[in-house]
Amino acid sequence: MDIAVRDLLDSDKRQNSSHPVMSRRTGRLSDEQLMTNLGGAEVEAALSELYDRYSRTVFGVGLKILGDRSLAEELVQEVFLKVWRSSHTFDPSRGSFSTWLYRVTRSVALDIYRKRAHRVRPVPDGDSHLATERDSSAGPQEVVDESWLSWRVSGALEMLDAPHREVIDLAYFGGLTQREISERTGVPLGTVKTRTASAYKRLRNELMVQDTSRAAIR
Amino acid sequence: MKCAEVHPNLAAFALGGLELAQTAEVQHHLASCSRCQKELRELEEVNRALEAAPSPSADPPAYLKDEILARVRAEQLSLSNNKESEESSSLEEHSRSSRTSRFNRFKDLRIMLPSVAAAALVAIIALGVFFGFLREEAPVATIQLVPTPQEAAGLKGYWGVAEIYPQPSGNQQVELKLNNFEEPKPNSYYELWFVSGERRISAGTFTSVGKGETRLLLNVPPEASNYHTLLITEEHFDKDPAPSNEEVALKGEMP
Repeated sequence: MDIAVRDLLDSDKRQNSSHPVMSRRTGRLSDEQLMTNLGGAEVEAALSELYDRYSRTVFGVGLKILGDRSLAEELVQEVFLKVWRSSHTFDPSRGSFSTWLYRVTRSVALDIYRKRAHRVRPVPDGDSHLATERDSSAGPQEVVDESWLSWRVSGALEMLDAPHREVIDLAYFGGLTQREISERTGVPLGTVKTRTASAYKRLRNELMVQDTSRAAIR
Repeated sequence: MKCAEVHPNLAAFALGGLELAQTAEVQHHLASCSRCQKELRELEEVNRALEAAPSPSADPPAYLKDEILARVRAEQLSLSNNKESEESSSLEEHSRSSRTSRFNRFKDLRIMLPSVAAAALVAIIALGVFFGFLREEAPVATIQLVPTPQEAAGLKGYWGVAEIYPQPSGNQQVELKLNNFEEPKPNSYYELWFVSGERRISAGTFTSVGKGETRLLLNVPPEASNYHTLLITEEHFDKDPAPSNEEVALKGEMP
């Protein structure tokens, strides 16, 4: 995880810790403006937009932390309800919405993790026994802390447009060669290579730009 | 190969996505080019970061957003209902000392109507958003929920029924029907638990109940089938997420 450590150190030196990432997308309300709208008449529209922007990241990171789809769904539900209920506690001068949302997600995930740490699993003889959900060698705090990199990478992937996201999904997660991607998508091989290079550069930049101050996530 | 030719291929090389011949050419160039070596190291860091990425197929189910917005709507109604009740109580106190009983009866009606309407609206929203109430299949279990002794005193027409429906995902869906169930205290909510001995699984939280019948759909994981006691507790926002034993409102046992 070299990139995480180095970027965390690099980012601590930067001045723009409250830079709203989403506001760089033109023509849309920033996350911070949507948070303000949660306190007004447009609450559903604002929460719906925030959900569209971040639910995949919350769910994906929830799956990483909790290792269970139904628990990750519970996490998404509780996180966005908490975003609404606690919107007044969000202070944009102290960090970006994304960082604040990560803190909320981490806190709720930890609650769910603790509540479900010991659950009964049926065994073949019909009896039951206590079992822990995850490997006990990693404590819940450690498991949740590891999720910060996951959160940042997921956020960076969400920032890619569809053509660039597609080549990353097919190349990295799908394991396809550049030629195979070209054949599958019908996009010329040269364009696939250009998009891959461009997507990697954007990911690298996003991971460095994001508000990654360790202090901000505590 | 020159740097200008290698550079566009480095990301693909880092991903292992080049053909064998091209891979060999890039490797040959890298052996003697420190600039491209540095570039490659940075790209490989992106590779390592991607190891932490959630699976691209990790999408939350489509219905989740509607459920969240429905809960927001329901809580908003509940909050405004509480506010109205508080304002009404204050008004009633003031009126008691200055108006006749005839006027008081009129006022009581005026106070009660918004509450009943709000409760009815909550039930309608719940019916509209949570699909499946018109299901045809029979539940695998029906549990009568009755008030616990400390809550029972003075309450009339106060009951609940939980019906359990297995889902294809393995989860269990709980259809909860509550009748004349009091609204939670301010800054509190209700939570349904499946209990076995000292162990509990939460089936979810809710706040909006009131006069008449209210229905809710909640979900619990498959493990809950081994938990035979159901409890509804009153919990407080911003406090310990652990269940509060002292504020059990309804309790039921699997038949």
